[in-house]
Amino acid sequence: MTTPHHDVIAARLSDYALGYLTPDERREVEQHAGQCDACSQELSELLLVMDGLARSAEPVVPPAALKQRVLARLGRETQEGVATVQPLPGRMVVADVRRSGWSGAWLAAAAALLLVAGGSLYLSLERQDRIASELARVAGEITELQQRLGDNAAQADMVLSILTAQDMRRIDLASAGGTQASAARAYWSPTRGLLVAADNLPVPPPGRVYQVWLIGSGGGPVSAGILGSPGAGRGLLIAPPPGGISTGPVTVAVTDEPPGGLPAPTGGKHLIGSL
Amino acid sequence: MQVATDKGVRADADARIVARLAAGDMDAAAELYDRCAGQVLGLARRIVRNEGDAEEIVQDVFSQAWRTARAFDTSRGSVIGWLLIMTRTRSIDRLRARQSRPDTTAESYTDTLRAPGPSPSDQVLSDEQATRVREALVALPAPQRQALELAYFEGLTQSEIAERLPEPLGTVKTRVRTALMALRQGLRA
Repeated sequence: MTTPHHDVIAARLSDYALGYLTPDERREVEQHAGQCDACSQELSELLLVMDGLARSAEPVVPPAALKQRVLARLGRETQEGVATVQPLPGRMVVADVRRSGWSGAWLAAAAALLLVAGGSLYLSLERQDRIASELARVAGEITELQQRLGDNAAQADMVLSILTAQDMRRIDLASAGGTQASAARAYWSPTRGLLVAADNLPVPPPGRVYQVWLIGSGGGPVSAGILGSPGAGRGLLIAPPPGGISTGPVTVAVTDEPPGGLPAPTGGKHLIGSL
Repeated sequence: MQVATDKGVRADADARIVARLAAGDMDAAAELYDRCAGQVLGLARRIVRNEGDAEEIVQDVFSQAWRTARAFDTSRGSVIGWLLIMTRTRSIDRLRARQSRPDTTAESYTDTLRAPGPSPSDQVLSDEQATRVREALVALPAPQRQALELAYFEGLTQSEIAERLPEPLGTVKTRVRTALMALRQGLRA
């Protein structure tokens, strides 16, 4: 398909790959490539070349301590992320708008908007600058909140999809020999994933976290993830189906493990239940 | 086809590790780190040329991957490609902040690669292809290579490259485009 339009677009493909185009120009290129095999092919190859350029930098052996720093940081972030949704029947609570300064930011935004709306003509330039930077800051925080809400919406979707799956089965977990009357319900769908909600959980031993395991017939335990803690004594996990678990009978177990969890259980067993 | 099979196997492995990552599986994060941190650090260091900054970028990239794994679609590219796009964007941001240059390309580049491409299944680079692109890059005539490296590794616009070299803008554009064409040939070699 060689039309004048095609020639214009074809000449822009490398600019597209290098990120030189405006959003409108990019859309134009994508639209055309959707209908033009030659451009589509060239664009795919150019994007592969970009990938190749990224991989042309010589790999470096990272210092050993860096891995610990990375994993420690992820460990802190897991707890925040997993603990944000409480799937109580019919309602969802966003529990993690916990950054200090949130209400301050909203107030500042409201104040700034009022000022702009009410008296923009009378504002000094310096004040306008201040307000502009405040608005920019607030916009950044809103973006972050949207991201969190998006994460929560994705979790809520997953909860709904597990609970409504045709192959979902409920497994009751009981305290594994402990004196505490902890208990949990697991909702397991081999196609959609696993939801575990625990109550009366003791605080894990110092420096340990609760890790959830699925044990299928004829296989070893497979980690389903770390139990988040949406409130005192409560535990919650929402996870896609881990690989390697068959559709047959399963056992769900909760053990305590080092932060971040381990590939196979080593710690004390706290909860267990079988289907 | 051998290559297609390799890609299929890798796409499956990628999908599994991303699902585990999204589930908060720290083992998956450790595995991904072991597999990719060397390349992430290598690219970050290549761009920012500062060990401390590069290591911070590695932390930021794995943190971003951890937080956004749920949104990553493995049919749209490889995990390593995804990590390296984030690495490049963050590294160029860092570089621009350090040099107080306005941020013009990093964001749009990320958007570009996130944007729906025409045939996503083709967009996973095999290891052999990566090697061939690297060889083709090394084999480029020096002026072409320099122009492309300024665009890719420093995030310079073509006008900025023209100013830096200094060469006419038209010359820079031709060099970049010719260099990219040679690398595309390299993919197929």
